[in-house]
Amino acid sequence: MLLTGAQIIMECLLEQQVDTVFGYPGGAVLNIYDALYEYSDRLNHILTAHEQGAAHAADGYARSSGKTGVCIATSGPGATNLVTGIATAYMDSVPVVAITGNVNRDLLGLDSFQEVDITGITMPITKHNFIVKRVEDLADTIREAFLIANEGRKGPVLIDIPKDVTGAKFEYIPKAPQESKVPSLPPKEWMDKAAELLKSSKRPLVYAGGGVILSEAAPELKRLAEQLDAPVSCSLMCQGGFDQTAPRYIGMMGMHGTKTASLAIANCDLLVAVGTRFSDRVTCNPDTFATRCPILQIDIDPAEFNKNIDVDIRLSGDAKAVLQALLPMFPQMEHKSWMESVAGWKAEFPLIQRAETEDGVTPQMVLETLSALTHSEAILSTEVGQHQMWAAQFYDFKHPRQFITSGGLGTMGFGLGASIGAQVANPGKQVVNIAGDGGFHMNANELSTAAKYNIPIIELLFNNEVLGMVRQWQKLFYDGRFSQTTLEKKTNYEKLAEAYGVKAMTIAKKDDIEPVLKAALQEEGPVFINCIIDRDINVLPMVPAGASVEEPMLEINWKA
Amino acid sequence: MEKEYLLSVTAKNHTGVLLRIAGLFSRRCYNILSIVAAQSEDSETSRLIIVVKGDDKIVRQVEKQLCKLYDVEQVDVLNEDEAVIREYLLVKVARNSETNAQLVAIANVFHADVLNVSENSMILELASNAKTLNSFVELLKPYGIQKILRTGAMAMTM
Repeated sequence: MLLTGAQIIMECLLEQQVDTVFGYPGGAVLNIYDALYEYSDRLNHILTAHEQGAAHAADGYARSSGKTGVCIATSGPGATNLVTGIATAYMDSVPVVAITGNVNRDLLGLDSFQEVDITGITMPITKHNFIVKRVEDLADTIREAFLIANEGRKGPVLIDIPKDVTGAKFEYIPKAPQESKVPSLPPKEWMDKAAELLKSSKRPLVYAGGGVILSEAAPELKRLAEQLDAPVSCSLMCQGGFDQTAPRYIGMMGMHGTKTASLAIANCDLLVAVGTRFSDRVTCNPDTFATRCPILQIDIDPAEFNKNIDVDIRLSGDAKAVLQALLPMFPQMEHKSWMESVAGWKAEFPLIQRAETEDGVTPQMVLETLSALTHSEAILSTEVGQHQMWAAQFYDFKHPRQFITSGGLGTMGFGLGASIGAQVANPGKQVVNIAGDGGFHMNANELSTAAKYNIPIIELLFNNEVLGMVRQWQKLFYDGRFSQTTLEKKTNYEKLAEAYGVKAMTIAKKDDIEPVLKAALQEEGPVFINCIIDRDINVLPMVPAGASVEEPMLEINWKA
Repeated sequence: MEKEYLLSVTAKNHTGVLLRIAGLFSRRCYNILSIVAAQSEDSETSRLIIVVKGDDKIVRQVEKQLCKLYDVEQVDVLNEDEAVIREYLLVKVARNSETNAQLVAIANVFHADVLNVSENSMILELASNAKTLNSFVELLKPYGIQKILRTGAMAMTM
């Protein structure tokens, strides 16, 4: 079938079972948008307010569904506006395919209007990228891009296509999507060593990262924890990878981890790390992280072994497959006294936030009420900062793909776009973006997207009028000199939301929480909630920079 | 302990492959001492010999990170005892009628070739191991070296 390059793109997206793309039109993608017009009955296109929003939406779509997210932007500024979104997906290993137009081939390299070397720009933040200079190569390049995005450790791939390539015609021959290579299992010798460690451990601790979610290994993780009779801690990226209502769950590990997790890592005799890269936000000081016990690490990326910390047993492979092979290699264990100690710590050190005033609102109250009202089944996305940590701490995630957050890059402005993508991918579920007032102002424009398509997300803003996380550091390490972190904007949030066509609500006191959340959950379109909180509620516990993960601060005594 | 490692990398002969590899070194803060890249025996692939400075842990990281690049097909950390290692040198040294015979004598000792002789300078070439090239350069220094071009190490396993 003789098709234009743009039509070939559509056919190849359909081959890959893509149903929705996020993007923004422009000169260099005119042919692509003309084809989207023709294929609109088969390919849904969500027009965002800004290309960055499209990239985050494609990312949120991918994280919440496990499918590949697709975004489209024009050349030059359209392409550079995707960059933060692509880098965000790269740092958290999210499969995204970004398609950018470029100027005609004869204009490449001449500093033409809206020309930018986007393959050069995105080289360090993509798994791989392509510029397609021949229409003959287009179909196979798109197929290869989807394969690369999903094979091994997942990640974003960018395809840059000059405008005349999307206009040129070529014979299109359909092909079924190629199955990605199954990573091999670790050598038997290493598996045996791992099983020996698991058998001989008296105080094992399971620590899980985002790889568990990416490899769909949550059921195997649960079996590992039960068979090993071990407590479980999850990184920020693994929230929901283990049922947080389960008694053996002990909270997050790392800079804002629980005291129980820090006591567990100080006292365990084996750390079983699944699908994690030991980020600096988890290890805090790598020289003092889990130094008294052997570490068994399972990860799909061999480059993650001995990168941030040295590990004793390295099992390279897909977390799900490795765990499936490992589980029959050791018997049901029982560690009664260890589990009792852990349960004791858990009871002794719960996470508690106190309000400054009698009817003051704390994020804990709001998030726990939200968790109860949604039966812990909602999908939460976040911006980055204090509210992000509170969302991780106080909502009881039960399933993988329930928590959508920028962990690696820490991208403020990520959440709203991501929530739109997550809601489009999960029409039957409630999606809530937890925001702070800093991140909200970065990409608030995407409220217009939610309103345009009547996407029923809830934008829940924890409004403390400050950049709370930076303020917290300024309190601790800069003597309370709040340089540029007191926002006190004149924004009328409710009016702004309404101006975008989004229904607005306010939580100003404790008694508002439940009725407002209930009302918001009833709405069939997007809702914005301005939830006013005190500016000096801190994220606790906290391990200050350079300190050991075993010694978190449990309170910050600071008065203005 | 820091030392020099030789990496032999086979990569798809795509545009930008050198940039991808060099970019990886730069963003991961690995030190490249030299890099030689050209088409291999197969027109579809390039072979690169990269000399890296670091410790054993760093070189393992370099190896694994390189393997993750889509265009990279194979990475070998070469054992110096099992490889032939050569480097090519061009040197322009000052000459006059008095020093000419001495320079030619040094070149003969090293089996270096004289490629060009002009009124005030002479260009010599030598292919050898790094140590020999260094001694050659040292001996030429007193005569006034005007320019040096070195390829960096090439290596082939035996």
